[in-house]
Amino acid sequence: MSAWDMAFRSLRRRRLRTSLTASGIIVGVALMFVLLSLTSGMDVQTRQMVRSLGGADITVSNATIPSFEGFGGGGGGPDFFGAAQTLDESYTEIISLIPGVYAVAPQLSSMASINGTRVTIYGIDPSTYFNVTTGLNIVSGTSISEDDEYSIILGKAIADSLNGTVGENVVINTTITQKTFTIVGIFETGTAFQEYAGYILLEDAQKITDQQGLVSQILVKCSDPNDVSDVSEAISSTISGIRATVPTSRVSQASSMLNTMSMFFAVIGIVALFAGSFGVVNTMLMSVSERTREIGTLKAIGAKNFEILKIFMTEALLIGFIGGGVGVLVGAALSYVFPMLTSGIFRVASSTPFGGGGPFGGGRGSDFGRLSTVNISPAIEPYNIVLCFSLGVLVGVLAGIYPAWRAARLKPMEALKRG
Amino acid sequence: MAKVIVRTVGLAKIYRRGKVDIPALNYVDLQISTEEIVCIMGPSGSGKTTLLNLIGGLDKPTHGKVFIDGVDLATLNDKKMADYRLKKIGFIFQFYNLIPTLTAIENVEVPLALAKVSKKERRNRAIELLRTVKLESRADHKPDELSGGEQQRVAIARALANNPSIILADEPTGDLDSRSTVTFMKMVKELNKQKNKTFIIVTHDPHVVEQCNRVYTITDGKIKSVR
Repeated sequence: MSAWDMAFRSLRRRRLRTSLTASGIIVGVALMFVLLSLTSGMDVQTRQMVRSLGGADITVSNATIPSFEGFGGGGGGPDFFGAAQTLDESYTEIISLIPGVYAVAPQLSSMASINGTRVTIYGIDPSTYFNVTTGLNIVSGTSISEDDEYSIILGKAIADSLNGTVGENVVINTTITQKTFTIVGIFETGTAFQEYAGYILLEDAQKITDQQGLVSQILVKCSDPNDVSDVSEAISSTISGIRATVPTSRVSQASSMLNTMSMFFAVIGIVALFAGSFGVVNTMLMSVSERTREIGTLKAIGAKNFEILKIFMTEALLIGFIGGGVGVLVGAALSYVFPMLTSGIFRVASSTPFGGGGPFGGGRGSDFGRLSTVNISPAIEPYNIVLCFSLGVLVGVLAGIYPAWRAARLKPMEALKRG
Repeated sequence: MAKVIVRTVGLAKIYRRGKVDIPALNYVDLQISTEEIVCIMGPSGSGKTTLLNLIGGLDKPTHGKVFIDGVDLATLNDKKMADYRLKKIGFIFQFYNLIPTLTAIENVEVPLALAKVSKKERRNRAIELLRTVKLESRADHKPDELSGGEQQRVAIARALANNPSIILADEPTGDLDSRSTVTFMKMVKELNKQKNKTFIIVTHDPHVVEQCNRVYTITDGKIKSVR
């Protein structure tokens, strides 16, 4: 009979105890796995956001903090064009004169609806917008030009949901009016919530929202990337009542918060695994003491110390396998359930760095607000599966060493007497 | 031709309890020949099991030596001692000591597996051994599905697995009814006659004693030949 057979039989004979012991590891592994999947998922989304910032070094917005609920959350309230969140368009020129500024692009973002679907409408000036940002990834049709009045570049997600193609018309509803636009192009970002948006000319946006001469953000590109913070300060000191933010620093703040969260969960996971390992040690010691006579018998009939060690190490390894395997499965399931249960928490968590303070202005804020309704999607990476599974096995094996050594070291005569 | 297979010279085992030395075995000289069935009797605590353990290599003497086939057991290291127990000695215990998670045939296979016999060969050998003890029909039963007598027969089969020359039995019939005891001793005699096994049996049981060629008694660690 091989050590595998013996260990397997012994675990099967004490099913309840085996599963309780394994559950100690399962909890730890599952926790780690959920954490890693969510972190990878959030990481992917963060990277997409960085890309979607489109390369502006500084965004200038109104210093008045907008009420977030009015934008992203509540049922499409009509109050999203508060004057408080806009800037005078003339600031664009003032900023362009500040030394170190390479290009400046005004942008007016606002919420509207197309066929009852809420979308973010960005009014842009094509002559400047593409100097500041990396532009849009147009997958069909063309970009927009200065004389394309009442034309729109639509996000792929909303275009798909409307069955809209280039050349067709869509009706955009704002609280003030409704207007027909022609689709000239379709853009893609790879993230659905960012594609519930459309780009139109700044003048059109100002007209349909009745905000002539106003913009919600001014995007700034610096001549030298190293001057960004100096230029940002210069802008703040030149114009009062505005807020100049450096989006990349916001993102790095957000990811550092993500890291803190990950660390927190990782510590919990490790503590759980540590506690689980004591469970394994305990069960194995119990198993050794219950089977003292068996060990004595095996030694009497000629088993070497190493062979006894092998039997018990195999048992610990099997517990580790069960713990790691089931842990990963439970973790994978939880990674999908967890964000659903806690979407409220994630709404707060995701809106704090991105939306709440309004660093990207109203339109952007509502974008990231929608993130929570889209859900944090976990990313199940093969790498994480291997890592968590191995962690479970490792804990099992490490916890098995001492009990197995104790078993191997038993003196056959005493073991027979005690059993 | 009978020759000496077990020889002890001035064998002593002394346990220290606090500051008092308690001799479990008091300088025993003993010779056992091949093909003998030897019986060791004595009150409990007299040193019978100690003697058996010393011969079986489960314990080390305080003084004296044990020679098996002329080899001094003291010269064997732990690994060689395990090999000695595996190949040269078969153990039978009062409470059978079968592995509860394994079936009868698997229990018989354990010493074969320890001796690295191939899977197929050990299965065949185990069936043959179970046939010897007339238990081939119970091969796939776990110990708790077998009667005491049947379990002890599985234990005999296990003890014989690697074809040892000496079988050590510690009160093998102590937990058996008289019918099973008779069956057990019949098998011992057969194995002794047909396969030339040497048996050293520690017992109180008069049924067992009357079947033995030689009988020793141990009192206070000193051995005396009775028959």
